[in-house]
Amino acid sequence: MDGLLLELVKVSRSFGATRALHELDLRLSPGRITAIVGENGAGKSTALRLCAGELAPDAGEVRVGGRALHPARPEEAIRRGVGLVHQHFMLVDGFTALENLVLGAEPMRGLRIDFAAARREACALAERTGLEVDFERRAGELTVGERQRLEILKVLYRRARAVLLDEPSAVLAPSEVGELYAALRRLADDGATVAVVTHRLDEVVRFCDEALVMRRGELAARTPLGAERPPELVAELTRAIMGREPPAPLGRPAAPDPGPEPVLELGGVELRDAAGRRLLDGISLALSAGEIVGVAGVDGNGQRELVRVCAGLERATAGTVRVGGRDPFAGVHPGPAAVRAARRAGLVVVHEDRQREELVLAASLGDNALLGDLGAGHDAERVARRLARFAVEPATPRLPAQALSGGNQQKLVLGRARDRQVRALVVSQPTRGVDVGTARRIQTALAEAAAAGAAVLCVSADLSELAALCHRIVVVRRGRIVCELPPDASEDAFGRAMLGVEAA
Amino acid sequence: MSSWLSMLPETLRISVPYACAAVAGVWAERSGVIHIGLEAVLLTSSFSSVAAAVASGSLLVGMLAGVLAGVVVSVGHALLVERARVDAVVSGVALNLLAYAATRLALRGLYDSASNSPSIAGFDLGPKGGDVGAMLARVLLDPVTLGAALVIAASPWLLARTRLGLRLRACGESPEAARSLGIDVVRTRVLALAISGAIGALGGVHLAFDQHRFESGMSAGRGFIALAAVVLSGWRAGRAALACLVFGALEALQIALQDVSGTSKATTLVQLLPYVATLVVLALGIGRAAAPRGLGQRVDDG
Repeated sequence: MDGLLLELVKVSRSFGATRALHELDLRLSPGRITAIVGENGAGKSTALRLCAGELAPDAGEVRVGGRALHPARPEEAIRRGVGLVHQHFMLVDGFTALENLVLGAEPMRGLRIDFAAARREACALAERTGLEVDFERRAGELTVGERQRLEILKVLYRRARAVLLDEPSAVLAPSEVGELYAALRRLADDGATVAVVTHRLDEVVRFCDEALVMRRGELAARTPLGAERPPELVAELTRAIMGREPPAPLGRPAAPDPGPEPVLELGGVELRDAAGRRLLDGISLALSAGEIVGVAGVDGNGQRELVRVCAGLERATAGTVRVGGRDPFAGVHPGPAAVRAARRAGLVVVHEDRQREELVLAASLGDNALLGDLGAGHDAERVARRLARFAVEPATPRLPAQALSGGNQQKLVLGRARDRQVRALVVSQPTRGVDVGTARRIQTALAEAAAAGAAVLCVSADLSELAALCHRIVVVRRGRIVCELPPDASEDAFGRAMLGVEAA
Repeated sequence: MSSWLSMLPETLRISVPYACAAVAGVWAERSGVIHIGLEAVLLTSSFSSVAAAVASGSLLVGMLAGVLAGVVVSVGHALLVERARVDAVVSGVALNLLAYAATRLALRGLYDSASNSPSIAGFDLGPKGGDVGAMLARVLLDPVTLGAALVIAASPWLLARTRLGLRLRACGESPEAARSLGIDVVRTRVLALAISGAIGALGGVHLAFDQHRFESGMSAGRGFIALAAVVLSGWRAGRAALACLVFGALEALQIALQDVSGTSKATTLVQLLPYVATLVVLALGIGRAAAPRGLGQRVDDG
């Protein structure tokens, strides 16, 4: 494969009044895996999208293989060999994996699409790269890992010589992360240009050849990762990302004495969908005051449903949720009334999908900060407090929520949740897509909530987060708790439990 | 007895405008454009076909003019929605009202009539005579019906198997994903609406040629019944056409019952039959049908 050099030359790009990139110079070279790291809003995703023709620069030039990318459109970038794998998968759920693969680059036989040829090529490609996908399944039915592999195959199918990935590992199980980077390594060895935007510095140090650190829309540092990879490297990168000393390691609050009565208790919670399938299958958990319990598992194994039941959005088909010994949902219909009942009982929930489940993107920051507490009075004060809690940037209440970067949206969501009366806190993916500094502040806030006597249930795909934060961790698979592990259990043990693989 | 047997050719004849409009709706909505302006497509195309046929004396010219009018209205809807960012429901309602008023105005202006155009000759191919066989032959040999049957039969295959079909459905399911693959969503949707307009227009042309003239408001809600068929079919062309055949059969039955019952009050009730049946089926079936996920979604340019 011929190498394809990607360059941003003095590129600036703004969104409205927000400056995302400022005279950025960036080079992505063939034959290696380049990591792009930085805080939320540092412009990492913007840089990738510029390379892929999804955005046009306000000033400066995007060069693909030495020539300017013109016109700045996805079809031109694809034609020139650049492929972008989005953080939020760009798959047509109703199409089969094969249809998704060929969409936009269909092999034809007369008037019709030659699906037989497409299948042959797809299988050959999958075999060559080690990215296995069931091509006959609908994309919506694939596991997260398979969807990710399909996205990469899509890019390769278009003969991309530069593969750019935006937060590819955020949703993967540990073993899947290893497989992902193994596949990327094969591509790089084959001469492809591979760039990965990620927040997980341990991955950067383990798998990448070079780290580009971005800060406030500019390149702050370029760190080649040689054969020597001392453990201090992570701290060094963190310093470069933040532009100051890294935060002190998180001190997990001491495990509390089990009180006489659990604060949050799930008793045999079961949830079935309309077709009668069990999404939650007898989940039982008891959390004492001050206790932090983690929920690990591959995405889509009931975590989302568990959180929704706690929020009162779904009614458990069997079993109960108790806060301080009382069932807040007794005699209440699921929906708005149940959500209010949960909040009254001091059960505060943060859902995983901030854009769809937590924020009204078109509404202002101020309105969003007050969602759920409208009419409670002291609005301006409340808004200011909730924006300041995790330092939302920019903290302009008039701005629409969609103007914030993902990490800042998350700060707003958590600032709002943390500002409420909390007896039990159920949070899902509290730091997904959030930079190191902010993640640490959010985790500290969770620990503080526990130290103040709340029971905290934390669902996360980030095992190192759970290990640092939780007193104990349960692993869910297919809607059941399959085991409970101490926080210092090996990543391998978690991976086996999550995937249901027996120890060899 | 003959009125019962004649239900078969009657059903086919009655179903054509419904089926064309329904398949037009499927083409539009599978691409992601909400299209409640099918009524406007039917009306403008039937008027244009008659006006062109009267002016030129050629039915073929009339047919082409009708199809052209349907394409113009439909593409106009697409441009309003996708380029000018008008709400698709507002645009559809506006087009329906505009088409009704504009055809009335044109009737007045061209033919100085409030209700109908002068008569035109039909294609009238096939054997003469009143027996069922002859009726069936005439229905089946009608060029508009043949053309409509052809495009309707081809539609499921075109949507499922061709490049255009795949891309069009991608725009309807996930415009974001389509765009990320370099597919021009707006252009694809405009093209889909052009095809939709042409197919729907065949229904309008059939309506006018069948009556040998244009009558004010002659689409009479067929575009809306067709929409019901679209939803009922789960946005599938073949099933939508089939639903329209069933509806056509009910209407034919209704006409046959009228012949039997004469001019009693029961007639009025019998006329309700197809509509009540549609409502019942919609109420029973609608929960299972899934609309294209990207229906009504637009994409922003970066």
